[in-house]
Amino acid sequence: MNAFVKTLLCTSSLLAALVVLQPAILASVDDAQSFALQAAEPYVKEGFQVREDYWGGDLGSGEKKAVRQQLFKGNEYWFWLGTEVDRAKVSVHIYDSDGKLAEETDGWEKGHFAAAHVIPKTTGSYFIIVSVEESPEERTHWALVYGFR
Amino acid sequence: MIPFNKYLKLTAVALIGLTLCAQGARTPQHIDIKQLSKTVEDVVVPLPNEIFGALNKLGAVNWKEHVRSDKGTNFTERPRIALLLGTVIADGFVAVQAEDAASVKEIGQRVLALAKGIGVGNSITPHAKAIIEAADKRNWEAVRQELDRTQNSVQQAMNEVHDEKLSQLVSLGGWLRGTEVLTSVVTKHFSADGAELLHQPDLLSYFQTRLEAMPEFKLPIIREIEDALVQVKPLIDVGNARIPQESVRKINEITTRLGYGIVTRD
Repeated sequence: MNAFVKTLLCTSSLLAALVVLQPAILASVDDAQSFALQAAEPYVKEGFQVREDYWGGDLGSGEKKAVRQQLFKGNEYWFWLGTEVDRAKVSVHIYDSDGKLAEETDGWEKGHFAAAHVIPKTTGSYFIIVSVEESPEERTHWALVYGFR
Repeated sequence: MIPFNKYLKLTAVALIGLTLCAQGARTPQHIDIKQLSKTVEDVVVPLPNEIFGALNKLGAVNWKEHVRSDKGTNFTERPRIALLLGTVIADGFVAVQAEDAASVKEIGQRVLALAKGIGVGNSITPHAKAIIEAADKRNWEAVRQELDRTQNSVQQAMNEVHDEKLSQLVSLGGWLRGTEVLTSVVTKHFSADGAELLHQPDLLSYFQTRLEAMPEFKLPIIREIEDALVQVKPLIDVGNARIPQESVRKINEITTRLGYGIVTRD
């Protein structure tokens, strides 16, 4: 009986912890997306259409992630990266399919926001490299959104 | 003597310049793409209006002639509904380009009916309503945004119930319809820049891989699309060479045939 009660208590505690923690874990990527969208906001006034779809995940300090994206010559693109971790430093850069830096020089990095701008010279695949340069957290959630005009 | 304010501004400009230089110096000018293979995320499939926007910049397009009135049969097989849903959303983008309010409203209703058919109607109802309202006001930017939201909500709802494969079929349906319209426009008014918009080999490989992982969908249209992508691949995977007019015409034939197959019963 005692063993049964103990097991029941353990299981219910674990379940309760999962129920409490799961939204927190999910919320972090959602929060990162909110920050990325916040960075994109001023560009909407300049005619950029920001996509609803986005990439997200978590990275440790100094880790990078590559995102492959089809871009079309004739369009202009901005990629905005955000994280909810205040004191983190993130960066985003764009390379063409040969691995050559393809971005314009007006990209920027401001703490937990970063952005990169590209006017593709050819239609094809490009690599967007996102990186968590520094962070007080072991894992830092990130989200990348993009817009075009 | 430099006034203090001017001195402050000069210092700020110099500091910003130094920061930018330091950033520029840190960013490698070249990376080894092969080394990235293990850390590359999946592609986000471009929306048809991303391609249409680039096409518009090459010259005026008569979008009205690409608006389709046949919105497809009522299917019961979920993969077929998913494919058709992607196609109909793409038709929505064409109708927006043509500024055809009546078609947009009809598409809004159709999207809702199809979403209900695959069990994600609840998440689409507000978007369908917003599409119809924005079309009434001829607010094309809002319609575009709602179509994007619609596709995103449909796919999110599907992913939440682990129907990722259906979600991928929605993207595929949209991409096929977008390619059909793109090749139709470029076939009629050929330009090398227009044809270059078809240079999407990685995206095509992405769809091929996804279809290969759907052996359980034993529908002729799915296998037909799989075979067609094999035919299209060499026509668009041309490296640095240009895509000739003949290839554009062939891709248009293939995608038109597939488009017909998606909206009609076998």
